[in-house]
Amino acid sequence: MNTLLASAPLAVIVGTVLLILLVDAFSKGRSGRFPAPIGAIALAASSVLGLRSWGKACSYFGGRLLLDDFSIVFLVLIAMTGVLIILIDLRYVPTHRMDTGAFHALLLLAVSGAVIMVSSLDLIVIFLGLEVLSITSYALAGLKREDPRSAEAAVKYFMTGSLAGAFLIFGLAFLYGAAGSLDVPAILAALRRSPPSWTALAGSGLFLAAFGFKIAVVPFHMWAPDVYEGAPTPVTAFFSVVPKAAGLAVLMRLLAPFWAGAGRPGQLRWLLGAAAALTMIVGNLAALRQRNIKRILAYSSIAHSGYALIAVISGDGPGLAFYLVVYAFMNIGAFSAVVALGHGEKERLDLDEFAGIGLRSPWIGAMLSVFLLSLAGFPPTGGFLAKFLVFGAAVRRGLSGLVIIAVLASLVSVYYYLRVIVVMYMRPSLEEADPEGDQPGVFLALFFCLYAVLQLGVAPGNILAFIKQAMNF
Amino acid sequence: MVRSFALGVAVLTFLLSLALYFGFDSGTASPQFVEQRAWIGHGIQYHLGIDGISLFLVLLTTLLIPVALLASWNGIGERIKEFSFFMLLLETGLIGVFVSLNLFLFYVFWEAMLIPMYFIIGIWGGRRRIYATLKFVLFTMFGSLLMLVAILVLYAQYHRATGVYSFSVLDYYGLSLGAGTQTWLFLAFALAFAVKIPLFPLHTWLPDAHVEAPTPGSIILAAVLLKMGAYGFIRFALPLFPDATRRFLPYLSLLAAFGIIYGGIMALVQKDMKSLVAYSSISHMGLIMLAVFSLNFEALEGALYQMLNHGLSTGALFICVGLLYERSHTRQIKDFGGVGRQMPIFSALFLIVMLSSMGLPGLNGFVGEVLCFFGIFTSNKVLAVPAVATAVLSAAYLLLLFQKVMHGPIVHESVRAFKDVGKRELAVLVPVIVLMFWMGLFPGPFLRKMDASVARALALAKGKERVSLLPGAAGAKSPGVLGANGGKRETR
Repeated sequence: MNTLLASAPLAVIVGTVLLILLVDAFSKGRSGRFPAPIGAIALAASSVLGLRSWGKACSYFGGRLLLDDFSIVFLVLIAMTGVLIILIDLRYVPTHRMDTGAFHALLLLAVSGAVIMVSSLDLIVIFLGLEVLSITSYALAGLKREDPRSAEAAVKYFMTGSLAGAFLIFGLAFLYGAAGSLDVPAILAALRRSPPSWTALAGSGLFLAAFGFKIAVVPFHMWAPDVYEGAPTPVTAFFSVVPKAAGLAVLMRLLAPFWAGAGRPGQLRWLLGAAAALTMIVGNLAALRQRNIKRILAYSSIAHSGYALIAVISGDGPGLAFYLVVYAFMNIGAFSAVVALGHGEKERLDLDEFAGIGLRSPWIGAMLSVFLLSLAGFPPTGGFLAKFLVFGAAVRRGLSGLVIIAVLASLVSVYYYLRVIVVMYMRPSLEEADPEGDQPGVFLALFFCLYAVLQLGVAPGNILAFIKQAMNF
Repeated sequence: MVRSFALGVAVLTFLLSLALYFGFDSGTASPQFVEQRAWIGHGIQYHLGIDGISLFLVLLTTLLIPVALLASWNGIGERIKEFSFFMLLLETGLIGVFVSLNLFLFYVFWEAMLIPMYFIIGIWGGRRRIYATLKFVLFTMFGSLLMLVAILVLYAQYHRATGVYSFSVLDYYGLSLGAGTQTWLFLAFALAFAVKIPLFPLHTWLPDAHVEAPTPGSIILAAVLLKMGAYGFIRFALPLFPDATRRFLPYLSLLAAFGIIYGGIMALVQKDMKSLVAYSSISHMGLIMLAVFSLNFEALEGALYQMLNHGLSTGALFICVGLLYERSHTRQIKDFGGVGRQMPIFSALFLIVMLSSMGLPGLNGFVGEVLCFFGIFTSNKVLAVPAVATAVLSAAYLLLLFQKVMHGPIVHESVRAFKDVGKRELAVLVPVIVLMFWMGLFPGPFLRKMDASVARALALAKGKERVSLLPGAAGAKSPGVLGANGGKRETR
């Protein structure tokens, strides 16, 4: 296996970014319809190239980057999310007067950052990927230049994000001091030393805090609702899935050998357990009081970080990957429905504006209901099976207490998800402005997500087997 | 068109389910008509089968869904397509709950069934429907989510004990657990089922849901949904955790007995006909649970029989109330009076339904109640007092209702315009009433099909049998399970 083939998935994405930027520059910002299909094709090609290396793990660039089955699973997940985002922004970006070329270039660059994160075991490279993802994310959040809330989101995200970046660098410095190396095995050895040096502990604490910011874990979640609310809706959908998936994948990969090996992982596990419990409780309770659909989904995604963290704590790699796959589909599905319900430049965001949607747009209403029920964890949707597998693995590893907290928190969540459905179906509609029917991209994304959520809930056979094969650690 | 199609499908389902009745072998307690397929792996299988306990609950469901659809012919005027969709989805979920032998699958159906019911109450319900439907869902989920954790713990325990991943309840029957574990798991399961039944302090969702639900929703809610809780106790909570069962039975019996009295007294003072029937359900379900908790053969079989009776008679009571509501658009008892003179046929049918609910000899309720009384009396003479109070109280509130609604002077002039029952309404009520007589006069064939399964459930719940019925499973097999108690009973 040569470097060329191993680096191809990443190279395709980055190359396409350059292509889009160049074409955009030479056509004086009037690249029009060109970037979206090219971007989607590049992402699909990247997944295919990744899958070609399935089962043939290899590293490249002097071992700094690697392409093993674990990376490929997340590469495919992230690239697929990117394709879905492109589908739902096809109409949104021009109607909201955003720059098509810049948007897609940034989106692909962000995807490449996330892919770098999941394809490395070197903490510096992971940091590099994280920064690529973060910086493009700030720009994406502020891309709706005429909307002050979009600018506010960008600034907020930038402030908290750079703080998290500083934490990460600081933590890495401590870890380097403790271990004399930034290789993961050396750091794990330093952490296992008994008693562990305080520099190693402080370093790992700062490191975890930084990732806590990225995946919006309580108490580092404050930025999420404001940023989600202000950012353009397709970008919000992107934020709710890709940084989370990449961050959780990195945590999984770094912590799994730590849980498995000898030593005393107890304190760290308690710490993460407490964070997960807090995340689920605070996320779900705060969502109860929201009236804006994007804020509801923001808090819901915070709560879902908590559920996914349970998988990280119990070292359940397949469970985490399956959870994230299902989460990606149901969450993007929900955001797609929000995009589909928009009318021209006006978006339907306040809960009251959803009154009677179930009657006037039966398809969108029904699909949004399925996504919400899946987020709430009702069978027979994928959301239920994902929670079931994660909770099952956690109970087998003796984390019953955490699982009880999780199910009670998800009981709370049932209330606010169902409240959206209540408004859609059980209240008379207020106004007559129907959503536009002519949005093929959004509907394609919606149908695909719907299919995926139901397929993963009822017959996940192949996907689950595929994921299990990748995660035998 | 949509309506007729849905009704046709439901009737067809009922006719197909009759094949289960005629093909059922009453000589064995093992599940029959078993269907087992690999599904997701990790012990999650598509595993269905029925025994004498689930057979009749399935039949009750398939019978009452078409009845409810027919009863909704006039009452549900808008969004018929969605309504039919949700009713059939509900039927799927309900049947699934009763036939699943895999706990994962059981839980899937148990939860999935909430969604159609949530929409049925929430879209076609009364004024406070949103409050009622959210309360219904949240109450039920509170119990069932803890049950989910218990299922996962059970799964982990089984894996630890045998090294095999399984969610099969038949495998779990062979598992012996420590007393502490049993306590927690039992409490989690019992909570989920007690909410559904509902046992006394957890009943508050029921009057709201019943009053706000549209007539077909109330029928299914009372007739079938409540039985899911009782079924859960008989199938899962009691047989899986015999030690914990022994420990908690006294408390549960006390709650059930309290529920009988409480429900009965509350029913006496209700002004709304639907909430009267709702509270009467609490009272009757109390009797059923008291009989289940008595853990003897007569009581358990009586409880099962009474579950069917309650399904029929309460379903029919809701149909009658719905019928009056369609004519008057009120459910307040005080708005009626002298209806009997305007609607003589209806009056007679209503009377039969009420007598069935009260347990008059010759009708189905009598057989079930007497078996329950015998059983409860054998186990605990003190608790037999509240048990018998069911009959007294139900006679009181139902006869008072009948007197106020059917007799007396006409309070509202609109009553004079009431038409007697039409052909469609007769088609709804008559089959149910015929069945009431049938089950009252010839209970033998029904009970005989239950015998073996009831005996085995009882043996498991008493901790006498820790035997898996799957071939090749671990554990000593004792051939005496089947029919060990079957011969004890007198001929009928």
